[in-house]
Amino acid sequence: MMQRAAAPAEPVTEEPALRLPPGPRFAAVGAEFVRGAGLASGIEPRLAERLALIAEEVLAAAPPQAGLVGLALRDRRHAVRLDVEFTSTELDLAGLDQSRVRDLEDGEDVGLYLAARLADRLTTEPARRGGLVLGFELARSYPPAPSASVPEALGPLAGLPVDPDDATLALLVDWAEAVGEGGPAFRTAPRVLDQRRVGDLFARVALDARRRPVGGIFWQPFGRRLMALSGPALLLPEGDARQALAAALLEAALAALARGATQGLVVLEPAQVLPGAFEVVGHLPGAAGGQHPVLFRAMEEDPGGIAWVSPGLSAWVTAMVRRLGLGRDIEAPPPPARALGAAMAAETDRAAARVTLRPLLAAGDAAAVAERNVALFRGQGFAQIRALLDLGQPGHAAFAEGLMRAGLAPAALIPDAAGDLLLLADGA
Amino acid sequence: MKAFALERLVPAHVRAFEAYVPAPPDDVLLRRFGVTHLHRLNNNENPLGPPPAARAVLARRDAGEAALYPQGDGWHLRRTLARHFDLEPEQVILGNGASEVIAFVIKTFCEPGDNILTADRTFAVYEWMASFSGIEPRLVPLLDHGFDDVGMLRAIEGRTRVVFLCNPNNPTGSWWDHARLARFLAAVDGRAIVVVDEAYAEFAEAPGFPDSFALMRQHPNLVVFRSFSKMWGLAGLRIGWMAASPPVAAMVRKTSISYSVNLLALEAARATVWDLAHIAATQAHCRAMRAGLAALAGRLGLEMLGGIGNFAMLRMPIPDTVVHRRLMARGVMARAMTSFRYAGWLRVSFGDAEAMAAFAAALEAVLAEG
Repeated sequence: MMQRAAAPAEPVTEEPALRLPPGPRFAAVGAEFVRGAGLASGIEPRLAERLALIAEEVLAAAPPQAGLVGLALRDRRHAVRLDVEFTSTELDLAGLDQSRVRDLEDGEDVGLYLAARLADRLTTEPARRGGLVLGFELARSYPPAPSASVPEALGPLAGLPVDPDDATLALLVDWAEAVGEGGPAFRTAPRVLDQRRVGDLFARVALDARRRPVGGIFWQPFGRRLMALSGPALLLPEGDARQALAAALLEAALAALARGATQGLVVLEPAQVLPGAFEVVGHLPGAAGGQHPVLFRAMEEDPGGIAWVSPGLSAWVTAMVRRLGLGRDIEAPPPPARALGAAMAAETDRAAARVTLRPLLAAGDAAAVAERNVALFRGQGFAQIRALLDLGQPGHAAFAEGLMRAGLAPAALIPDAAGDLLLLADGA
Repeated sequence: MKAFALERLVPAHVRAFEAYVPAPPDDVLLRRFGVTHLHRLNNNENPLGPPPAARAVLARRDAGEAALYPQGDGWHLRRTLARHFDLEPEQVILGNGASEVIAFVIKTFCEPGDNILTADRTFAVYEWMASFSGIEPRLVPLLDHGFDDVGMLRAIEGRTRVVFLCNPNNPTGSWWDHARLARFLAAVDGRAIVVVDEAYAEFAEAPGFPDSFALMRQHPNLVVFRSFSKMWGLAGLRIGWMAASPPVAAMVRKTSISYSVNLLALEAARATVWDLAHIAATQAHCRAMRAGLAALAGRLGLEMLGGIGNFAMLRMPIPDTVVHRRLMARGVMARAMTSFRYAGWLRVSFGDAEAMAAFAAALEAVLAEG
């Protein structure tokens, strides 16, 4: 009998989903569903297995009053994601906080802790019908790309930068990677293509007269209303044409984003400074020592807003608000409604030895939880520890004091009238 | 109640649309930016206000009339405008600002699958109104800061229902003359409705500016928009109007909203028609302020762009959104143009002399900060 090569799995358009009662009795059912649905959707077995374990742990830890728990598997191509939806927001999520491992006494909290540890990225957001969605995301791995050779005598830019087809985008990434241009976002073409297909990356590519890519610029969602800009990757030699290329790419990105939902562009790791196009909203310590600027470009007029700021940060935020010319009502936040149970989510980038902490749930013990999180990841050898607080959320301010006690300092204020983002960093 | 699945009830084009959020009221802005006064140079308002006859109408209104509905379709105002422009009253349709009239036209001529055509860098409401109505807006890039007639003709296809021209264009002030508009209409040859938005037409002093009402007699697919917000100083009352050939107007009337224009707006607008002294005074003011702005631009080494209208644009050496914020902190409101796809440009209305002086001083200080 002839062997047939398995056809590559087509992406599943209808996402598999299931609702189950909470508690240990249905945990194995949920795990089996996630494992089976993952494999049937073409998700790598090792990722399907990790997601199944997460589902099992979270379901087992869900209290009886949580109501039916929704499980939905989402193939994001460059990542796979398990959304766990609770109809209630009154849940104890403290177990998701990795710093609580020493406090955990019962199986439920240990389960949540394990689930959080298994994920590369953990998010929490309100469910559409009320309640809460926990998102556990695992990144796909890609084989290293063979080194490409970049043709000599590219360019100059001909016409306006374009929203590229897949082949052009892949070629740009291959060439940018070969010459070390553009930064980490411009690496591994299949990953970049996958990110774009699911709306996690947007690109403009400049072409020369022979329709060959000579440069590109990317942007990716960053928080609720911002985009993180990467690049530009410029394949032209130093000189006027290279400068003109950078300006054209940035202008194309701004034009593409105008009149949309994006309020601003942030550049956390500038690959190329674009004079005049951005403002400096802070500085971050670099991995190799020194500091680099955090750049920002607003897409809309900023009509002012409210910033909820803890007393310890008030002077720094007030000074930044003045320096940036922002119109802000700087308010002291009310104390969190809950006494205990604060939690933070951690997004880890082990290759860069970097962890970024974000508040998951505010409570009276937020400062202590924040302090413990920093200690935990510092103890694990993470060299760069960052935290991101949304100053539009009164509850986030409760974490600030603990982060600062643990040695983090305010590094940048990323303006957004609906909620400025305060970036704190170790050694800032 | 069972679970309320809002998402299921909302069309995809509405879900995808991002709501426009206007700036907060001045008292909130004053507090947030820590200033005691704001010079409004961001909305192209007329610092001279409405003409004297309109002011008199507003001054003698009885507050008790607020209890009464206005006449439903602007009977007297439509007749007054028709007489002035040699039209039939049925050719004139009023709206709660010209933006409402844009909605009437899109609702009349477009259904899902159709598209409208306009420029990429022009008044945003054509694009927005189409988008949240489920109609595709197709945007032709401006050419040398003006509408590209060749590009627009090339872009018209079988499902193009309406072509929106902004003449003079907001924000560039560029404009087509009568001959160019006539050639364009001839080339369109009735394949689509052509809307010429002339919100700033009364600012035109050049003799070649189109007589669109005359062109309408030869081209029944031509629709002309006018506004009482700019030249006539009635922005706060929200009233605009359109004129079209009788059969086109009869169709648009089906989708227009009766009673949407309030009685103060109807009476004040009627009193403005057609105060030539007010037009002359406003034009003289604009000439003087434009000259002053050009001098400032020259002194600061800034590129200036502008043609017809009570505004001009200046190209900033730093992001326009930063300049906007820093000006706000100095009590001056101008318009950052990134959202008009003119990243790096600032649009400045020709306000009164005090406001323009405040703007000049504030801009010099902002740019000195780097």
